[in-house]
Amino acid sequence: MTTPVTDPVTVPARPPASRFAVAGTVAALVLTWLTAIAVDFSFADLVENLARRNLVVEGLLQPDVTQLWSERSRTAFVETLQLAVIGTATGGLASLPLALWATDYGNPNVPLRTLVRTFNNVVRSVPDLLWALLFVTAVGIGALPGLLALFFFSIAVVSKLTADTLDGVDRGPIEAAQASGAGLTAMLRTAVVPQILPAYSSFVLYGFELNLRASAVLGLVGAGGIGSRIEFFRGRGEWSEVWGLVLMFFAVVFLVERVSISLRRRLV
Amino acid sequence: MSTTVALPARPVDRVRQVGTAVTVALVLWSLLDLDIAWSRLLELPADLARLGTVLFGDLPFERFGSLVAAMWESIAIAWLGTMIAALFAVPLSFVAAENLVGRPLAWAVRQVFNVLRAIPEVILAIALIPIFGLTPMAGVLAIGIGSIGTLGKLFYEILEGVRPGPIEAADAVGGNALQRLRWGVVPQVLPELSSFVLYRFEVNIRASAVMGLIGAGGIGDDVAQALRFKDFGVAGLGLIIVVVGTIAVDAVSGAVRRRIIAGPVSPAVDTDA
Repeated sequence: MTTPVTDPVTVPARPPASRFAVAGTVAALVLTWLTAIAVDFSFADLVENLARRNLVVEGLLQPDVTQLWSERSRTAFVETLQLAVIGTATGGLASLPLALWATDYGNPNVPLRTLVRTFNNVVRSVPDLLWALLFVTAVGIGALPGLLALFFFSIAVVSKLTADTLDGVDRGPIEAAQASGAGLTAMLRTAVVPQILPAYSSFVLYGFELNLRASAVLGLVGAGGIGSRIEFFRGRGEWSEVWGLVLMFFAVVFLVERVSISLRRRLV
Repeated sequence: MSTTVALPARPVDRVRQVGTAVTVALVLWSLLDLDIAWSRLLELPADLARLGTVLFGDLPFERFGSLVAAMWESIAIAWLGTMIAALFAVPLSFVAAENLVGRPLAWAVRQVFNVLRAIPEVILAIALIPIFGLTPMAGVLAIGIGSIGTLGKLFYEILEGVRPGPIEAADAVGGNALQRLRWGVVPQVLPELSSFVLYRFEVNIRASAVMGLIGAGGIGDDVAQALRFKDFGVAGLGLIIVVVGTIAVDAVSGAVRRRIIAGPVSPAVDTDA
């Protein structure tokens, strides 16, 4: 028997692509094609529209950043900050019981638990601007609908994040509290809340960051704050003023976020 | 026999005290300074009950078809926008990962992501509506541009977390730069990347429903118009369709995401293969 000098190595057969991956890719392509039809997507229009001269971009190139210091814009801006503060404080506080009552140990009553969970899910599925529009319809334009919108928006964000943290708590302290005869509230207060307090505070701060951003757009539907000024200038087609306000607003948001993020790092 | 035990002093956390004080002060100042007729809050339950009645009391089911079509448009805006964002975010994220390119370049690309992430889609839509008119394209591009930042950030974080082993293996068998990416990096990150794209799609459905409220197409348009013209039944039905539609798409997309991350049940007995 002769052995060949170069031993041929049989390359193992390449595994076939998983049916799931193939089906997923095909589905994604089909969906892209269908959605492109649904919105009349066309590259020619896209290029044509973008290439056309327009006032929006010209305004962006010459933003009027002094606008924020004008009397009315400044008042609107302070209102935005205050709305974000109160909306976060109240909504954040309401989130804690809502998240606790959605857990199996925090709410042994199954129908009630389902009710709280459903409430949290529905609140979460309504976007911020829609809350604002609903409350504007219910109570009229002004700062109040903005505040109510931010209240519910905070609940959506904070209760979700807190609920996720609550899933991972150490059950030991809960058993200890129950063994020593603690009632439900006492058990939650002594065994659960201390475990999640740092994370929860950090989520509230995060909710504040999101609220601050959201509060800029609430005014677009009449819910007060800086957005109402942005909408005012947008309606008049004064894009330099629009962009001036937007840029200054985001400069402030950026600073607040820096502070908030460093606080959150310290918490967790 | 009893002994007295002196309890240790309760620890004092200065930062916490200052933080609490500042927070309380901020909230109080806002409450006192804000120009809101707080007594209006007392009427709120009645207002909401009335709004609830007019919204959901008498649903115009003859509009069901057209509203579902509008919801489909919202979903389409979200999907196309997400795809456009992914198209830009994937290549950009490769040049934002410090383990794949140099630090200065990665830093520069990250700043682009940060700026894009900071702008709410609605603001982008405001800028795009005058350019594209009140069409879904304004919404598609607002979502497309707005999601590049978030997707890009998530992507480069995943890319920086890859295990170096497969890259070294590709090197060892003589792979060039492209082959190294194709065989050393892409297979490691593909499941997470695609699952994040789907997650972003879920987020963007909400964003696209909202952008309709200011005129950028989709079901938000119908709801906003209906509320403006006090056609409350249509608005109510539209809201129900938004909530149910969002939850339904979330459920499907979430199931696909979990399957992507979990992988086949067991490679040995993969019934899918």
